[in-house]
Amino acid sequence: MVAYLPLFMFGALGLLLFSGYPVAFVLGGIGLGFGFVGMAFDIFDFAQFSIIPLRIWGGIAENLVLTAIPMFIFMGTMLERSGVAADLLHCLQVLLRRVPGGLALSVTVMGTIMAATTGIIGASVVMMTLLALPEMLRRRYNVPLATGTIAASGTLGILIPPSIMLVIMADLLSRSVGNLFVAAIFPGFILAGLYMLYILALCRTRPELAPPLPEDIGPQSRGELWLLVVKSFIPPIFLIFLVLGSILFGWATPTEAAGVGGGGAMLLAALNRKLTWGVLKDVVERSALTGGMLFGIFLGATCFSYVFRALGGDHLVVDLVESFGFGSWGLLILLMAIVFLLGFFFDWIEITLIILPVFSPIIELLDFGAHVIPRETVYWFAILMAVNLQTSFLTPPFGFALFYMKGVAPPEVRIQQIYTGIVPFVLLQLIGLGLVMAFPDIALWLPRVLLN
Amino acid sequence: MELLVKISDGIDAALGRIARVAAWAGVALILVTVFDVVTRRFLVLGSTKLQELEWHLHVVLFVFLLGYAYLKDSHVRIDLVRERLSDRTQWWIELAGCLFFLIPYCVLVVWLGIDFAYRSFAIDEVSASATGLSHRWIIKACLPLGFLLLGLSGLTVALRKLAELFGPEELRRRVRGIEEEEALHLDKVSIPADGGADGGGTAKPRS
Repeated sequence: MVAYLPLFMFGALGLLLFSGYPVAFVLGGIGLGFGFVGMAFDIFDFAQFSIIPLRIWGGIAENLVLTAIPMFIFMGTMLERSGVAADLLHCLQVLLRRVPGGLALSVTVMGTIMAATTGIIGASVVMMTLLALPEMLRRRYNVPLATGTIAASGTLGILIPPSIMLVIMADLLSRSVGNLFVAAIFPGFILAGLYMLYILALCRTRPELAPPLPEDIGPQSRGELWLLVVKSFIPPIFLIFLVLGSILFGWATPTEAAGVGGGGAMLLAALNRKLTWGVLKDVVERSALTGGMLFGIFLGATCFSYVFRALGGDHLVVDLVESFGFGSWGLLILLMAIVFLLGFFFDWIEITLIILPVFSPIIELLDFGAHVIPRETVYWFAILMAVNLQTSFLTPPFGFALFYMKGVAPPEVRIQQIYTGIVPFVLLQLIGLGLVMAFPDIALWLPRVLLN
Repeated sequence: MELLVKISDGIDAALGRIARVAAWAGVALILVTVFDVVTRRFLVLGSTKLQELEWHLHVVLFVFLLGYAYLKDSHVRIDLVRERLSDRTQWWIELAGCLFFLIPYCVLVVWLGIDFAYRSFAIDEVSASATGLSHRWIIKACLPLGFLLLGLSGLTVALRKLAELFGPEELRRRVRGIEEEEALHLDKVSIPADGGADGGGTAKPRS
């Protein structure tokens, strides 16, 4: 009975999270409460609580890896305000005006490029909805096609580096952030490629879904067109080069790259004449609050998972999983299914911070023989989990991206249309997930070549 | 009741002032990092101090924002069930959450954190690296301090919920007004009317 206390802890967490009280404090409160329950059963000692500040200190505070997070948040928030995305979208539209489904393709390309400059997901879906959806509706695009494209492309940011989620995963799994970033590049591009193939194929067979753009948008002369391309592509490419380039070429750690990216985003906003005092103040406060929110959950999860472990949770989970008698593949599928289902209800922050520490002893046990080299298994698992979490944002009825989108979409867009539109993209995600599962080298080849 | 709301407003204002100053640690962090990267490439300076300064700023940035983020309602909630509950039930949940989860959790971390920082002070702890920063207790003291502020924000919310649950209608309306004005839904309002939607000279026409 007492041995199952950690399970009750999870049960209590599941129930109490739905009270709607902030996740960060529910985690902390349950950690504390079950510490006292453990004391009542004599399997926990009050003095053990004093480990918590040490854990907070070593794990969260004195941690140069996590120091990247506030800077990546700042960079993303600043970029939203810099006007870079709007310029880019306009330019892509002009370039792709003759291609069937050109506007939808522009959105996918913009989503991919913006994903490589920022790593906050809610924000990028909101930004892309505001920028692209009204335009697509005005051009009489099929509504589900438009919303599906935006939601899927807007969530690529979680996967394509720099991604805050990958920083946290690497930290929790004690692996290199740089390696994980590089591993995520191909899977991210493959997903974007799948979206584009689908859009192209669909719009060729059913052109009425995506009416062509008028010929006369954008500049008419070739010179002006080139100027537009240069002016709108240079800023994001510059930033990608600054951030990813410096990691890839080993000039800077991901944390330093985050700082340089934050500085670069400010510079771009200044060049676009968007960097007023008011904007700066708002970005500073907003990104600090986002960081406070994220680290609040981090702190709560530290308290929760410390007590969970102290009560024997790790052993319990491993024993439980071993008693199922699944092989490595069975376990992998089970873990993926759990993450996918949790994604219906929870944001990536909670799933990563609560579930990953619990899973990590199991992940270490996984062995796929010749399919994946043991040394690389954890990276592969992290990428699968990242693709999976991105998918779970998109899955009706509770996909977060869909809610973010509904929140800012014009009122005539109905949630049912958003649900219909996302289905093909969820299928594409599952194909992508299957591909990375079947061919681990999609994720593992690039870091092997670049970073060894 | 009136007094409770006044107290809560006072704490609120103080927390806001501290957090809005601490938030600038983010810009400082970026500047220090850029400086570190640039100088290391072109000059040879010891950057241990800078790197330690980076995580010092990171600590300041998050611990002093925890409580303010609660007042701004920026902490993530699972809204699935909550949206369907009556206002009164929501107030009770919030009050219970503050009293049984948030405040005890903060009391624990503040208490243990003071001990943690005091030990550092008593041995005059310095960086493990010979060229690092000294006076480690100062930054360590930020941890209990931040949780103290978080606990105070819990107290503020609890007082407001008491006023909403048991106070007269007029007071309830005032509290709700304050809460709504303060709430900043991070994922709901990301682009102001004059912001990113208008992409400068090359912007597309607005709808």
